Amino acid sequence: MRLLRYLGHRLLLAVPVILGIVVLNFFLIHLAPGDAASVLAGESGAATPEYMALLRHKFGLDQPLSTQFYVYLLNMAHFDLGYSFRNDSPVVGLILDRLGPTLLLMLTAFVVALICGTLLGLVAATGRRTWRDPVISVISLIAYATPGFWLGLMMIVVFAIRLAWLPTSGLDTVGADNEGWDEVVDIARHMVMPALSLSLFYLAVYARVMRASVLEQTGMDYVVTARAKGQTEIRVMLGHVLRNALLPVVTMAGVQAGNLIGGSIVVETVFGWPGIGTLAFNALQSRDLNLLLGIFFVSACLVVVVNLVVDLIYVSLDPRIER
Amino acid sequence: MREALQRFARNRLAVFGACVLIGLLVLVAISPLVFPGDPFRLAGKPLQAPDRVFLFGTDTLGRDVAAGIAYGARTSLLIGVGATLSAIVFGAMVGGFAGYYRGGVEIVLMRVTEFFQTIPAFVLAILIVAILSPSVSSEIIAIAAVSWPGIARLVRGEFVALGGREFVQACAGLGASDARIIFRHMLPNCASSIIAVGSLLIGTSILTEAGLAFLGLGDPNVMSWGLIISAGRAVLRSAWWICTFPGIAILLTVLGVNLVGDGLNEALNPKLARR
Amino acid sequence: MTDAHFTPAMISRRAALALPLGLATLRAAHAAPEPARGGTMVMIVHPEPSTLAHYAVSAGNIPMIATQVYEGLLTYDWDSKPQPNLAKSWDVAADGKSITFKLQTGVTFHNGAAFTSADVQYSFMEILKKFHPTAPVVLAELTAVETPDAETAIFRLANPAPYIMKALAARDLPIMCKSVFEGTDVMTNPTANKPIGTGPFKFVQWERGQFVRLDRNDKYWKPGLPYLNRIVARFIPDAATRSAAMETGEAHFAGYSAVNYADVARMKTNPILDTTTKGYEMTPALSVLELNSHQPHLDKKEVRQAIAYAIDRTFIRDNVMFGFGQPATGPLSRLFTASGLYTDAVRRFDVPDRLEIANKLLDGAGAPRGADGVRFALHLEVNSFGEQWLRQAEYLKQALAQVGIAVTLRSEDTATWLRRVYTDYDYDISEPFLSQGIDPVVGLNRQYLSSQIRKGVTFVNNSFYSNPEIDRLLGEGRTEIDPVKRGAIYQKVQQILVEDSPLIWLVDVQYVSIFNRKLHNHTTGPLGTYQAFETAWLEK
Repeated sequence: MRLLRYLGHRLLLAVPVILGIVVLNFFLIHLAPGDAASVLAGESGAATPEYMALLRHKFGLDQPLSTQFYVYLLNMAHFDLGYSFRNDSPVVGLILDRLGPTLLLMLTAFVVALICGTLLGLVAATGRRTWRDPVISVISLIAYATPGFWLGLMMIVVFAIRLAWLPTSGLDTVGADNEGWDEVVDIARHMVMPALSLSLFYLAVYARVMRASVLEQTGMDYVVTARAKGQTEIRVMLGHVLRNALLPVVTMAGVQAGNLIGGSIVVETVFGWPGIGTLAFNALQSRDLNLLLGIFFVSACLVVVVNLVVDLIYVSLDPRIER
Repeated sequence: MREALQRFARNRLAVFGACVLIGLLVLVAISPLVFPGDPFRLAGKPLQAPDRVFLFGTDTLGRDVAAGIAYGARTSLLIGVGATLSAIVFGAMVGGFAGYYRGGVEIVLMRVTEFFQTIPAFVLAILIVAILSPSVSSEIIAIAAVSWPGIARLVRGEFVALGGREFVQACAGLGASDARIIFRHMLPNCASSIIAVGSLLIGTSILTEAGLAFLGLGDPNVMSWGLIISAGRAVLRSAWWICTFPGIAILLTVLGVNLVGDGLNEALNPKLARR
Repeated sequence: MTDAHFTPAMISRRAALALPLGLATLRAAHAAPEPARGGTMVMIVHPEPSTLAHYAVSAGNIPMIATQVYEGLLTYDWDSKPQPNLAKSWDVAADGKSITFKLQTGVTFHNGAAFTSADVQYSFMEILKKFHPTAPVVLAELTAVETPDAETAIFRLANPAPYIMKALAARDLPIMCKSVFEGTDVMTNPTANKPIGTGPFKFVQWERGQFVRLDRNDKYWKPGLPYLNRIVARFIPDAATRSAAMETGEAHFAGYSAVNYADVARMKTNPILDTTTKGYEMTPALSVLELNSHQPHLDKKEVRQAIAYAIDRTFIRDNVMFGFGQPATGPLSRLFTASGLYTDAVRRFDVPDRLEIANKLLDGAGAPRGADGVRFALHLEVNSFGEQWLRQAEYLKQALAQVGIAVTLRSEDTATWLRRVYTDYDYDISEPFLSQGIDPVVGLNRQYLSSQIRKGVTFVNNSFYSNPEIDRLLGEGRTEIDPVKRGAIYQKVQQILVEDSPLIWLVDVQYVSIFNRKLHNHTTGPLGTYQAFETAWLEK
């Protein structure tokens, strides 16, 4: 019951945040110089003033900013994210098309990174003074320090071209019309390399935060007390240290929730993965402002939800944090 | 202090990291002597493999990759350190105030933080660079703008956890001022986390810079590692040396920064090392 | 790639138009392998189009897909001469002011509607003339399309327009179905992304960020065609990955330099791949420098010429374009040689003592070197459409430093760049890439006519070039029907322009296609990928 009240309270708090985000984003995005009509005309190579005027009228760019803002708010009030004139499609459809592949890739990478990273961090921290700690530290650092696109390109060269084990790019085999289990396997094969190059980066982050945090906790008085009581090392770790040590890791994971949507532009680009990151990048480049605002809005909603989950985990991990 | 230095010196990995960073600083200092002239100068035949004249080969226009790496070190370090410091100062302030005062201050500050976190970081960085026009300073601003919320949330989380701890309550009970409690008692207690995350952040900033340059949003008048890599990307498969050496430079730098960060962390938090 | 490889392809295209006799001749004359039916051809299109509204947007990546679906009245042979397509014959009146087309019969659109002259009339007068970006130039003289019967369409022109006969392929002026558009708003018609045409392939599906799928049109009017069952146009944003997809055989065709020039040499060594520069004969393009003559120094002809002398175009061709293309000599591409319009009898900047000349010109123009060797400083706006332009800019900075001009590069994203250069005019030098269109009226008029100094319009006269003689000559060239007289006019234009150097012309761009050796008959005319793969087939 208390939890429900807490949830309701948090959701209520989220409403003004999202409203503020909508307004701020609108003006932030309009700070960028140039407009969609000139980009479209630029790509066309040739354009006449009449054509440019036609485009600007169609896009509503001939209206004053206040009118554009009003129209935008009106649309939002109807839960309508608007129309992408550049893509000749409603924004919602464009985003929904990419949301599935994005979440699939990012969640896979996140879960793998979180589990492996936490474990590695724990192993490193408990293995201080042995070979485990420096080896894990150095390996995770190297994984972290390798530029993502370089790693991706190298993997393509090795696994797709030289060994021919995996397909180079895409979400599935185009035109294969696989069904059922075959399709699952097909997508999984396409996902191995992008998920790996993404998770290696995050894995290193979690491993390091986890290691630092475990080391910090083991110096705390309560651990010393627990040890003094004669509890075994494993019980101390799992019963006391782990719970508290996870807090910074969870914070870090919450911080990275914003990256869930757009954190993988480079990896999406390298592997031709149909994600929202590249959609956002293209929208920004082409000044497709409705689409960009829509992506920012969806991203904001996702982040609010993830942060809520993080807070709940916090509460359950550390009962001292009262609200 | 001397004790801390001794502890640092005993950590072989940290010493290795420090050597890498010192080497880098030396490289920055002597690069005008070793490679006189503009690093963009067309020094020789394009796409020459590494040899005695061009230690790391030449790129597609015939520029000396080694000279580019030497001059690029300055840019990458400037952007990495500049962006990280800005992000840490700003993030720690916001997170510290929010975590210490709680209540209304926390709600407002954390909503602002959340706002920055809701926008996909890389897209926001690109947006800021697009608004400000690409240059070294706009890259620093953009990278700092996407990095500080992480620090803010981390510091706030630690402060909230510390706020319940006996000694802070004791300080407050003894009548210590807010500023004293924040800066003398609470911040040092999260120093290990800040250093651990901050050292990673320098690396992230350098990598983000490479990403921006890779998308054509770097400063085209200043040599940087990202610029060399993005220029060599097109010929990655036929001229491996152009991307490989700046890639190794990035890797070594990030590794060095992090090893030093770890070493400092342990040297400054002796209770961790004493175990 | 040898010509011999293309001869059968060429003949089979003609044969397709004169079936069944043509195919029989083909078999007898050439021991070409028997075309196999079926299969899915994967082609790489880059970048992904934002829309398939081929009739209202002329971006270069749309027609690779759209011309499989939409057809034009005509197609063109290797000499760029008109060949029948939806029009089976045509007759240009002696005064050049009307063109009568006899249309094919028995042609249906993918939605089942029959193709008639009403569709031609509607497409030209209600859609293309009103909404196509190049229509105000190419269709300016078209006043009406008359339809005396279902199989005849007569174009009425206010003045002779010799270039129209070059623009009637599906790439430039496609034919849409009247019943789909009638009574709707053309700009928001849903067929923008679900095209309906008469072509050999039907639009099926567009997964954004992934692919467009086109399936065989079983009711295609050319008997027996097409051979392929399906075409999939894949979108892969990263250049290295596009190359990899070709190398592993995942994709069969990559046109319009979708594969980086830098990778082409390596592709050639791959036993499953081959390359060709054919199929781009009707797609002339130039890389240029636009100079803002409202800026100090750049207002002097001598300074502009000096910049032109200072640049080594061969270096750009070899190291920025990796050997593709030719150093440009002037405002027209060499591809206009066949039509007698191109000339290289102009002031040549590629002389051995070019740097001395440049320095002398600059000294004479009142821009002496300062103590640091610098005469003056300029900004160069970097073209945002790809990595190679940054390389070119970096080279130009070095090249101009040699003659004492200090260049600062500014690389902004597309929207900012276009706004700065074509709306705010806040630039010194810009390095765009200009497609030339099917005729000089497209490429030259918009760049050099004084009437084309139009704020806010991209890729028009932003150098503020204004020369009454050029205005007059370009006006004459527009309506001149006699090819010899027309050639003389444009040769004069080139000589004057090169002398004035309002722009600096760098490289005649050459595109390149990479294809899998299993794919046959893919490049069958000068429009290359910008025409249907109706006779292309895949070896099993």
